[in-house]
Amino acid sequence: MMMKPCRLVLIILVWSIICVGQMARGEPPVSREYALKAAFLYNFAKFVEWPKEAFPDESTPIAICIVGDDPFGIALEAVKGRAVRGRKTVIKRGVKPDELTTCHICFVSRSEEENLAESLAELRDCHALTVSDVEGFAQRGGVIGLVTVEDGIHLEINVDAAERAGVTVSSRLLKLAKIIRGDTGGREN
Amino acid sequence: MIHRSHIRFGQQGSFIGRGIWCVAMGIWLLLTAISPSWSQASQDDPGLSEEFMEMSIEDLMTVKITSVAKKAQSLSEAAAAIFVITQEDIRRSGVTSIAEALRMVPGLQVARIDANKWTITSRGFSGRFSNKLLVLIDGRSVYTPIFSGVFWDAQDTLLEDIERIEVIRGPGATLWGANAVNGVINIITKTAKDTQGGLMYGGAGTEERGFGGVRYGTKLGDHTYWRIYTKYFNRDDAVYASGDDAADGWDVLRGGFRMDWQGSGGDSLTLSGDIYDGEIGERITTPSLAFPYSSTTDQEYNQGGGNLLGRWERKISETSDMALQLYYDRYDIDPSIIGLTVDTVDMDFQHRFSLGDRQEIIWGLGYRYMSDDIDNGATVSFMPDSRDYDIFSAFVQDEIVVVEDLLKLVLGSKFEDNDYTGFEVQPNARLTWMPHEQHSVWAAVSRAVRTPSRAEDDVRIGLAVIPPGIPQNPGPLPVELTAVGDRDFDSEELLAYEIGYRVRPMDELSLDVTAFFNDYDSLRTGKFGMPFPDPPLSPTRMVLPFTQDNEDEAETYGVELAADWRPSDWWRFQGAYSYLNIVLEQGDDSVELSSTSRRSASPHHQVSLRSAMDLPGGLELDLWFRYVDDLPSLDVDDYITLDTRLGWHPRKDLEISVVGQNLLDNQHPEYQPEFLDTAPTEVEHSIYAKITWQF
Repeated sequence: MMMKPCRLVLIILVWSIICVGQMARGEPPVSREYALKAAFLYNFAKFVEWPKEAFPDESTPIAICIVGDDPFGIALEAVKGRAVRGRKTVIKRGVKPDELTTCHICFVSRSEEENLAESLAELRDCHALTVSDVEGFAQRGGVIGLVTVEDGIHLEINVDAAERAGVTVSSRLLKLAKIIRGDTGGREN
Repeated sequence: MIHRSHIRFGQQGSFIGRGIWCVAMGIWLLLTAISPSWSQASQDDPGLSEEFMEMSIEDLMTVKITSVAKKAQSLSEAAAAIFVITQEDIRRSGVTSIAEALRMVPGLQVARIDANKWTITSRGFSGRFSNKLLVLIDGRSVYTPIFSGVFWDAQDTLLEDIERIEVIRGPGATLWGANAVNGVINIITKTAKDTQGGLMYGGAGTEERGFGGVRYGTKLGDHTYWRIYTKYFNRDDAVYASGDDAADGWDVLRGGFRMDWQGSGGDSLTLSGDIYDGEIGERITTPSLAFPYSSTTDQEYNQGGGNLLGRWERKISETSDMALQLYYDRYDIDPSIIGLTVDTVDMDFQHRFSLGDRQEIIWGLGYRYMSDDIDNGATVSFMPDSRDYDIFSAFVQDEIVVVEDLLKLVLGSKFEDNDYTGFEVQPNARLTWMPHEQHSVWAAVSRAVRTPSRAEDDVRIGLAVIPPGIPQNPGPLPVELTAVGDRDFDSEELLAYEIGYRVRPMDELSLDVTAFFNDYDSLRTGKFGMPFPDPPLSPTRMVLPFTQDNEDEAETYGVELAADWRPSDWWRFQGAYSYLNIVLEQGDDSVELSSTSRRSASPHHQVSLRSAMDLPGGLELDLWFRYVDDLPSLDVDDYITLDTRLGWHPRKDLEISVVGQNLLDNQHPEYQPEFLDTAPTEVEHSIYAKITWQF
């Protein structure tokens, strides 16, 4: 006995609805997104060169600083202990403005969106690779912007900001990104 | 008025098969309705970060935040021989069709039969109607039930909008179904959100007489993205061995759209469609009953069709999601050796969820309904000339973490109930071992089947006519050698053993090696029956039937290697090598007729080497060498060829490129077709120029 097509369709539909009703509705995918961004931060360290002054000696670790609230949770723990070109990595959280000079990568969290211009101005002289997922970060003078689109993360790199910060971005990384020019210097909005 | 016989063959399907399917579904319904949610998502998953840290940055760019039902996963962990052709690979290779792009994949044999036909196969058993490869475009199967293969000339889309092509060699049976015996090709287009704005291209050349296309993408409100496109190409005839022009030029006009809507509760909806219409030329040689017993004609046939696809996905939690997909597809050719119209309606459901800490289960149900209508020709006919059939399928896969970050086991099976052979089971087991961050080893055992097609069951093809009055046929009547289908034709079976190793010794170099051993059974063969006069009372000829049967066995084994090396930031090499050996063991009664079976027509060695250089001034220089070993049973020599592309970006939104293809000799043959003797033509060297503008 063969099942009629319409009957089958009906059964599948009804049963899908039952399943949907049963399953817990999940939170938006926060941890997966930030686990991915943490991996990007680690990779940026691999494809960026800092000027010699940024590292006092051979054992100075690469400092990844989180400016503002920490959205990564334990996702960034996976970076600890991984070396990049012979240097260890160290993570600093809740970094205050006067500590920023020791940072090599500064991740500006969304909580700082209001004070963005201020933070960017402070980082200018510090040889820091500034990264953020705040909207329009690269356009406003940050070096790398992480743009979340529903299906993945896209990169925007402001080459003028990189030059001003004294960091050299590998062309392998540039190739994957949308290049932004122009530097508002954090003075305009 | 042509008499059409519509016979429903629903009763052919096995009762037991359907019974089991119904019971299985009933149990699932019950379990999901009464049990508490199994998808206890853990919000923080440290293992996930570790996984991402080990991926290359290029891979990270492809990771989906909202993982889809067939699970986006780092390539290094997949327990299968997988190769991904990216959009960048397509652009830099200068190919103008999906079929040509497949030449860069290790383990795939791509050979041009004539200007508009290809044979594409994985791990052996080539032929225009090669039947062991499953091809999907955005989840829509483009395999045709008429001969269980793919009409490659009809598979196309705007190449710039292809996100990637995933090629998995070996049985992909579990997730994608029967007929993925030797591999699965999954063509994935970009989402509408990724193709916003306009793109226009146009160009012309020696073989590509003229081509162009436009695409425009826009946003509708905050959550809906759209795109539409149209493209056209006109391709020149190829040449015969003599150098004379053939009659196989073709042109096709195509258009389509895609719409994506993303809801806030984890729901998303995709709707897409295409239509196309083309004129295809070919030269056909058909046997005839009067002197000179074969006739050759140049003809053009019209090919057209369309499809409409809808998919709804819901992300339930971090580790669980489901998807429901429905599509309709129509394909029509008229008139070639036969006229043919095929309608397909397909519905698929999938659900993925975690079970405890260590297991992830994906399972699904599917239903496909196909209906064909054939205008029989003089040489090729199908009886009945119209048939409806359906397939019920279900699959389940369990991914088990045996030892965290070290050993992973995947067990799965697909169950199918079809109108030709009843109930089929295709189980497989795959193991991945990741001893170190930079190495992984995988092994797999699988069973797969290739179910019969209309051609094996119902066809009648006039293959050749042996004239009267010669030593082979002393009688007064010509003898028509006719291939005849057989309703009892069974599925071909495969038991495959595969092993693979992936290593990234440094950031700039990665290697992927696979070895396989395939044990085939019940392969299609033919045997001669008793000749009989036809028509019986006043015969004009004797018919010598050649029936199809499942008597052959074969073993194949081989090795595939893919390498990716970046000696510097601006230079990248990608290489692919395949080795294949086929050992046939024919059954006692069977005969391998040269015009019906081309199994040993696969090259032993194939090499592909691509170099991509980014030069100053926005220039790109790309080279692609290919070597393909000879096909002695088809009298085709080995060849080495070179494609070159010079690209220039005078501005960010403009690209000008000049591409030379098959440059190392004037022309070379790649294949000899079987069945329906289309005169083979040779591939000529060619050049074209193209401008692409994005706005």
